[in-house]
Parts: sequence; structure tokens; C-alpha cells
Amino acid sequence: MVAGTPAARSVAETRRSSVDDGVGAAIEGAFVAPRLSTTAVVATLVGVALLSTTIGAADLPVAGVLRALIDRLPLIDVGTALTERQEAILFQIRLPRLALGLLVGGSLGMAGASYQGVFRNPLADPYLLGVSAGAGLGAVLALGFGLDMGWGPVGAVPAAAFVGAICAVAGSALVARGSWTSPAILLLAGVAIAALFSAAQTYALHRLNDTLAREVLSWLFGQLNTSGWRQIGILGPYVAVCGLVLHTHRRHLDVLRIGDDEARSVGLNPARSRLVIIVAASLMTAAAVSVSGLIAFVGLVVPHVVRMLVGHSYRMIVPLSALVGASFLALVDIGARTLVAPSELPVGVITAFVGAPFFAYVLWRRAGVSA
Amino acid sequence: MTATGSAIPALRCSQLTVELGGRPVLQDLDLEITSGQWLGLIGPNGAGKSTLLRAIAGLVDYDGEVVVADGRRPRATDVAMVAQNPLIPTEMTVSEYVLIGRTAHLGWLARESRRDRAVVADVLERLELSSFAGRPMSALSGGETQRVVIARSLAQQAPILLLDEPTSALDIGHQAGVLELVDGLRRADQLTVVAVMHDLTTAARFAERLVLLDQGRIMVDGPPERTLDADMLSRTYATPLTVKEIDGHLIVLPAVTGRSARS
Amino acid sequence: MPRHRLLALLLAAFTLLATGCAGDDDVDAGGNGESADAVDDTTDFGEDAAAAPTAGGDAGEPANDDYEQDDVASGDFPVTFESAGQAWTLDAAPKRIVSLSPTATEILFAVGAGDQVVAADSFSNYPPEAPTTDLSGFDPNIEAITSYDPDLVIIASDANDLVAGLTELEIPVLMSAAPADIESGYEDMAEIGLITGHVDETADATATMRSELATALDTAPETSMRIYHELDDNFFSASSYGFIGAVYAELGAENIADEADNDGTGFPQLTEEYILESDPELIVITDQVSYTPDDVAARPGWDQISAVRSGNIVVVEADIASRWGPRLPQFVSAVAQAMSASAGS
Repeated sequence: MVAGTPAARSVAETRRSSVDDGVGAAIEGAFVAPRLSTTAVVATLVGVALLSTTIGAADLPVAGVLRALIDRLPLIDVGTALTERQEAILFQIRLPRLALGLLVGGSLGMAGASYQGVFRNPLADPYLLGVSAGAGLGAVLALGFGLDMGWGPVGAVPAAAFVGAICAVAGSALVARGSWTSPAILLLAGVAIAALFSAAQTYALHRLNDTLAREVLSWLFGQLNTSGWRQIGILGPYVAVCGLVLHTHRRHLDVLRIGDDEARSVGLNPARSRLVIIVAASLMTAAAVSVSGLIAFVGLVVPHVVRMLVGHSYRMIVPLSALVGASFLALVDIGARTLVAPSELPVGVITAFVGAPFFAYVLWRRAGVSA
Repeated sequence: MTATGSAIPALRCSQLTVELGGRPVLQDLDLEITSGQWLGLIGPNGAGKSTLLRAIAGLVDYDGEVVVADGRRPRATDVAMVAQNPLIPTEMTVSEYVLIGRTAHLGWLARESRRDRAVVADVLERLELSSFAGRPMSALSGGETQRVVIARSLAQQAPILLLDEPTSALDIGHQAGVLELVDGLRRADQLTVVAVMHDLTTAARFAERLVLLDQGRIMVDGPPERTLDADMLSRTYATPLTVKEIDGHLIVLPAVTGRSARS
Repeated sequence: MPRHRLLALLLAAFTLLATGCAGDDDVDAGGNGESADAVDDTTDFGEDAAAAPTAGGDAGEPANDDYEQDDVASGDFPVTFESAGQAWTLDAAPKRIVSLSPTATEILFAVGAGDQVVAADSFSNYPPEAPTTDLSGFDPNIEAITSYDPDLVIIASDANDLVAGLTELEIPVLMSAAPADIESGYEDMAEIGLITGHVDETADATATMRSELATALDTAPETSMRIYHELDDNFFSASSYGFIGAVYAELGAENIADEADNDGTGFPQLTEEYILESDPELIVITDQVSYTPDDVAARPGWDQISAVRSGNIVVVEADIASRWGPRLPQFVSAVAQAMSASAGS
């Protein structure tokens, strides 16, 4: 064995020694920077959540809110200074809505990042494969034509929207003949299916009376009104399971970038990875959309913000997009609830207002870099 | 410590047949590769050299059998491959790219462990790439990129390294540098190297064993002195070639000017 | 205002979403503009509700006897009127009227012009004898309309460039949009009476309406009461800026939507927290929503609202609670009764 030169130190040796001391400063630096960003993102999330808890159309005293929250912690009893109605506003309306915002925002951010990775397209968003149009059609059918797929605690609209979204994605996959080796075909199939479902939705909408049409429209523009914790309980498991799957597959997105052959040579099954990621991301989006309606731009913009923070590796982009998406939507929803209080702005409209210019800025910056 | 001459088989192909688009590319090929050996695959274009590598890596369907030492099909932890023209994700940093090599080793929740990072750091250090760790891939030169790709395959910690024309994109200085690097790693880690090599002179210099392929079959298999037979090469490459020995190295040259040995 | 435009916008917006926002120009410019419009349209939309067609609700109330059918039209012709920027002169009373507005259809029959109506749109479900066809008011087809050979077309909104198309064909068009308040509704009614040649009958019908309305208003309880009129489960409501919400102020009630209607659209979207905080004593929903008073009462946290606690959630017929027309007194009367019941509970 030739000893001394760097190249000569064996990988076998690395197995024994470098764990303790061999990590060079430069490379450790490359790993530490994302860790700082993660901390900052988590801190932002906590801050937004606290802010959201203490601000609202109803004028609840901040100290009283904090005290009531602490009182609800296990084993702590500090009493509450809030009236019964104020407690109801805090625990039955404000907090479930915050939770819904976090779940939906997190889902859209994470699914958006995953779609952008799978399709290798920075313009991909979670609605790419027709989830939006499918959910919209489902909602129209449920509201306007009495299509009741509701089951147990699941209302007719979320159930039909969910089924519609899944149908649209499945339709896209079917048109593309499940060609998981060629995401471009799937993407085009998604465009075709989305157009078809949109047309059906528009046609159905025309046949509705005003009251129902209004219900459908305000649903389509995206809102975070909840029916309390029940919806959170239904949405939560979907988000948790799909989120876990996407999280464990986040590195696959990096590996897919080196091409299918090489991906296989490092131990990945590219077609299977794409299938798993697209199914998980679509399910997650469908679940979120079925409760909140269509909230634009979160899934598209958030991954780009995260890239500016931590660079271009999906092992960081995917989980942080979930956290940043959650913070972003919760923050925007504070605006929706309070900017024109006591009336309300559709949260989907604000995300578009904030998201579209920001997205334009990101593109403008990129254009500058590549020029 | 070199493994030359030791009889531990690292990889065995038996009755290996590959058809691509209905055309047989490899036919009933039998090959046993010894652990620690540098095996060079030579032959004219279309002989099936790259296909043989891809079959070993499991990237093409085949009939017959490819097994590693303990009798199973090779996995990513057994075989690492450096492609001829690897697709480079230009926005990733060098360390992120090398980390891809750890895919098959990642644990629960696909978390990278301290060991994964240590392996990446070590590989970068050994390839003198530590200072590049945080740079984007787009900022590297051709030679640097090739080293980073090799670093990725080394991070895979597979005992068998497959190289498909690893130096075709490099100038002559970098070619030698990269091959010497691989040779040093091979000796240090007892790696088995199977490399497709266009340049017969270079092949003779680095490989302990050369396999000459033509039309999906093995024509000659043996040490360079035996494989690089002027008559055999001229017939296989359909071009007159001569083999000379200078300072103990075999040099392959075209016998007639105006036609290239590489045609 | 036209619903057609809203739908077109919607379609454009979703195509944008669905295609992953393929063009960045569309994304920032279009996205912004459309979103801004979307706000207006979503809220404006309710205004359409006042005049635009509605369907499904059964005309449960007994038909009043006000609908006199005179064979001979009275009035002074030629009549000149201006509508949607176009002046028209009618030399004689129109005999082939196409009404694309359920409100107008009700008024036409109330002023005795029912016999002159040859076709009404698909949502004109009252009175029962109205010649309802499958014509659409918010996605009108000009060929289908002209196939009835109309000499007057009454519309609530100018969708699909209908006014321009009919003007081209020299078919008179009267645009009769939803009135902003109760009083201007009478003016619209008078105009329809004038144009159709039923001035006297219109005066009679108006007088009847006014007296019925006064009677209904008188039955309201003296005490003030907080009221929430819910249009859908995203908490869109009707404020006093529109004639529906204005009814509550006329009844001496406090409409909780008023404080929220900063822009005066008439149909603000309320924040749920605010509804709980303002604690309405009466909640009014319509019979066209997809939920029941029980569903409203079961909403988390709503058990803190007085109206829920005392069971004061009433359902009104959407058709009469969204159209300014001869049946408006019925709506007012229904609300007044509900208020009395609530005040008593």
C-alpha cells in the first residue's frame, strides 16, 4: 500500500477514522450553512404562528390570549381572563384556521418543490397535472348538482373535490401511458387534462343558480375558513403520510438530475421514484385543495424562495419548502383576516398579489445571471 | 499491495447476451474479473464495450448471468459507474453532487449520517477537491468536473468501478492525471476497475488485462503483450496497425499514414 | 358586473394555474390584474344576484292577484328611452318582448304586460304563467333570442356584447340592472311600465307594493336587533349598500354587514371572528344554499352566538330575497315576522 499521499489513504480507512476527525473545514461549512437557514426558517414559522394567534378581526387581548394558551398546556393551570365567547373565537376559529393555513401552505410548498424536481421544470406547480381543474369540477358538481360523495365527517364538497383532483391526475397519467421515464409527456398530458376539466367546470358553473355559483366561486378563489378542528383531523393524516414520503424521497430528486442511467447506477429506480413522488405530491395537493380551494402561487414561488436561501439541492429544498410554505400562507392569511377587517379578502387573491410580482423578480434575477 | 494474480473473482459474467432493438450487441459472453484487477475493454466502435459495462451495472436487460463475489446480481453498493458524458446538474455544489454517490447508503428518512459526510469529505480531500466543496458545478473546468464525477463514484464505496471512456473529454495531460488517480485509488482500496478505453497505448499502460471485443464477442483476452497483436488489431479495426515497444511500454500506431487507428 | 366576464376570467385564471403558469408575462401582469378584478367581481357578484337569474326555488308563496292582464296596452306612444348608451324610440307598444331578467319578468307580469312577453330566460320562474324558455341571461345567444322575433329585449347585464349585437339588428334593448336601493327599484319599474304602455297599471302596482311594504315594515318589533344575512358558507353577506341588506335598516335592525362593507359593494365577505364577536340575534339564510340552519348552529364556536342559542336561524326563499320585484313585500314581511319571533324568544 502506498501510504502518505492523499489518494493513497483508503476508503476502508475512512470507515474507521474520518468519522471522528476527517471532515474538512470547507466541506463542513457547506453543510453548516443550510443548518443555519433551517434554524431561521423554523424561528420564522414560530413567530408567524404566534403573531397569527394574537391578531385577528376580533379584538382579543394579547395577554389574555397567551394566558389562555398556556392554560391549555398539560399540567399547567393559570386560569383564563377571556370570556366564553372570546375563548370560542380563539380555540374554535382562530387556531383551527391557523392550523389549516400551516397545513395547506406546507403541503403546497412541499408538493411544488417535489413537482419542480420531478419535472425538472422551475415553472412546475402542484396544480400542474390538473389537480386544480379536477378539484374545481368536483366542487361544482357537489355544490350544484347534489353529487354527494361525503363520507362520515367529510363534507360533500371536499370529498368530491378530492376525487376530482385524483381523477385528473390519474387521467394525466393514463394519457401519458404511465411513462414515468419521460416526465415531459406527463406534463403535456397534464395540460390537456386540465384544459378538459376546466372546460367541464366552466360549463357546469354556467348551469348553476347564483347562490350556488357564488359558493363555488368563493371556494375556487381559495379560503381558509374551517369547520373547526374536524377538517384538520381529516387533512392532517394525509399531509403527514405524504409529507413523510416526500421527505424520504427528497434526495431522489437530486439523483434524478444526473440522468436516469446514472441514477440507476447509484442505486435508484428512477421510474419508481417519479411514480412515488408524483403520487404523494398529488395526493397531498388534492387533500389540501379539497379543504381550502385553489390557492395560487404558493407551490410555485415558495421553492424559489427556498433556493435563494439554501441553494439547489432538493435534500434541503423539499423540507424547507414545507416550512416556508406554511409560514407564508399563515402570514398572508393574517392579511386576509385583518387588512380590511371586519370583512375579509380571499387569501388566494393575496397570495397571487404577493406571489406574482415576487415570481417575476425571481425570473428577472435569473435572466440577469444567465445573460 | 496489489491483487494481481490473486484468484478471488470480483465479478463473473456467464452466457451474457444483450439485444438492442432486435440486434445482438453481446453474444454468449463469458468473463471473470479478478478482484483488484484493472481490466481494459478495447475494440472498434459498436463492438459492445459500453453495453458490457451497462449490463454489469444493470442498466440494460440481458440474458445470462452477471454476479458478484457472493453470487448475487450487483447492486449500487457493489458497482459504481462513471459514464462517458455524465449529465452535470450545474447548479448543485460539488459536495452536494458527490453526496449523490451516498444514495444507496442513506439511512432512515434518507438522512445523511456523519459517516456519509465524512466519506464525502475524505473523497474530496483525496482527489484534492476540498477547496471546491462549496462551488457550483458550473464553475468547474472539464478536468475538475471529471475528477468530481470520479469522486461521486468513489463515495459510493463500491469495490468495482466501471469507467466508460473516462478521459475522452480531456486533454492529454489531464488524461494521464485522471488515469493515474484511478490507478492509485485502485491500489489503495483494492478496487476492481473495468474501463472502456479508446486509446490502445494508454490502455496498455494502465490495464493489467485487456479484452478485445468485436461484434459482441471476445476476440482476445489476456495481458497487453498478448492482446495487442498487430495482426489481430489490424483485422479487428479493419486498418493496418503496428505495435512497437519503447522503454518497456507498448505503443500502437497506424501503419499507413492518412488513416487513423481510432477510425 | 357581467357574470360572463367573471367566468371568462376564472377560466383564464385556471388555465394559468393548470398549465403551471407557462408564460411568465402572463403570470405577473395577468395574475395581478385578474386578481384585482377577481376581488371586485366576487363582491360585485352579489349585485348581479339581485337581478340575475336564479333557479330551483319553488314559488311557494301564493300568487297575488295584482297581475292584471290587459289586452290593450295604454300609454302615449311614441316613447323614447335611453339604455346602455343607446337611444330608442318605440312607435307602438312592444308586442313581442323577450325578458332575460327574472326581475323584469316579474315586473312585466305585475304591470299587466305579461301577454306581450313571448319568451323569458331559463331562471324566470315566476309567475307560473311566464313563458320560461331555455334562453340564458348571463350567456345569451343572440341567434336564439332573435328567433323569437322580438321588438324589445330586456336584460339585466350586457353579456356577450348583446347590446351591440341587438343594436346592429335594430332590436330595442332595455338594460334593467339590479337597483341599489328600494326607491330606485320603483323607478326601474316605472320605466318598464312606460315602455310597454302600461303607465296606469304600473302606478297601481307600485301603490299596492308601497302599501304592502309599509304594512310589512309596521309589523317589525320596536326594539333594535343585530342581524346577519348569510349568502354562503364563506360568510358573504348583504349590507345596506344593496336593496336586500337595506331592508334590515328599514326594519330598524342593525345589519352586522354594514360595518364590514368598506367599499360599499353591498355584498362584503365577513370574517368569521367578527360574526362571533358581533353576536347577531337573528341569522337569515336562503333556501338555495347547500346547508341547513342545523348545520349553521353546529359550526364550531357558533354556540356562543345569541341567534344560535335561541334558535333564531330562518330560511328565506332565495328568489324573493334576491330580486327587486313585486314580491319584495313578502321578503320584508318574512324578515319582520322572524324578528318578532326572535324578539319574543
